[in-house]
Amino acid sequence: MDWKELKQNVGDFVHGYFVSEYERKLREQFVDLNDLFMLQCFMELVGLPNPAAIYLLDVYPFFLEEFHTWHRRMGMDRSPIGSMPCC
Amino acid sequence: MAPSHGDGPFAHRQHALLLKRILFFGGKGGVGKTTCASAVALAASRQGKRVLLVSTDPAHSTSDIFGTPFAADEREIHPGLYGLEVDANLEARRYIDNAKAGIARMFSPAVAKEAGRQIELASSMPGVEEVALFDRIGDLIVDRFDAYDLLIFDTAPTGHTLRLLRMPELVSAWITALSKRRRALLALNQDIDQVRLAPEAIDPAEDPILKTLDARRDKLEQVRARLMQHNFTGFVLVVVPERLPIEETARAADILAESNVNVCEIVVNRVLPDDVDGDFYRSRRAQERVYIDEIKRRFGAYPLAWVPQLPTDIYGVENLERISAVLMGATW
Repeated sequence: MDWKELKQNVGDFVHGYFVSEYERKLREQFVDLNDLFMLQCFMELVGLPNPAAIYLLDVYPFFLEEFHTWHRRMGMDRSPIGSMPCC
Repeated sequence: MAPSHGDGPFAHRQHALLLKRILFFGGKGGVGKTTCASAVALAASRQGKRVLLVSTDPAHSTSDIFGTPFAADEREIHPGLYGLEVDANLEARRYIDNAKAGIARMFSPAVAKEAGRQIELASSMPGVEEVALFDRIGDLIVDRFDAYDLLIFDTAPTGHTLRLLRMPELVSAWITALSKRRRALLALNQDIDQVRLAPEAIDPAEDPILKTLDARRDKLEQVRARLMQHNFTGFVLVVVPERLPIEETARAADILAESNVNVCEIVVNRVLPDDVDGDFYRSRRAQERVYIDEIKRRFGAYPLAWVPQLPTDIYGVENLERISAVLMGATW
């Protein structure tokens, strides 16, 4: 391995390290935001009134996939809402 | 009596109420909202306007006044006067069925069936009927506005109606918050894409959730804007000269002012005429005078209309005609 190649590899490593750190931070932030968003969409789950509940029926079908990962992460094995029939 | 036909000498000088495009009639239960709303609708149609009278009161007395059943769709009940009865229950049903159809399109029949059962349960949640009712009123205000010269809403008793009028504010704020979060989420997702140089994020312009939320919000805002347009939307409060209705009317007027809805007239209904006789009526009149003074004092800032107690109760177009004439400024 010559000097130039080594320099290149170290450079790539450092670059990759920081970029992945950055990406991890972004993902964490994304997950937090998503949790908040989901909570606002499914307030009934925690027993709070949701003024827009009936309007959200329109968007429920689009939520299915995100809802699934969300309720798994929230420690609920099966879908807690029957109208979101993901599992 | 004022001429009530379109070709009468007063036809060119229109009553302030008839210059509006959307009128709401509200007040405590039993004060005569439906009668007044119907009378104004009749007066407007007599002046050659195309009028839609919408009954949202679950009591649905409009049918009884005109002696013609109102239906869920618009139909002519008198020349130039169209009637429509909004059934909150039915509207909620329609909305829920739509949502179910959406799910049925996207999922397998077994899943859709299970989901359908759950949505059915959701439909009995408190508030659903209210939102559905508001939705229908909003549709009429936006979509039927151009089809008529005047839309008249005979509403349910005060508290209910006031909540209804404030709903777009609340729900639209809620949806705005949701849509903002969603946008932030998608933006973050795009940032992640850039870092990884591997696009997998959804373009915000293509996100179906954002699209649906924004469409809803725009619609609500449109309805809200119409409700607050003082020059063509007005709220008429009906009151009778008695303690409780006066208090309720005062509260309603305050709340409407707070919500920036224009109270364009207060109708004082069932005022005893001067020529009544007998001790019983004299004593009633003496008490009534106190309330009438109070009404003049407290509601002096609004245009007031006085409608006499008639010797008979009001049903049928002929009877209604008399109230119409009084509301349009005839002396009694």
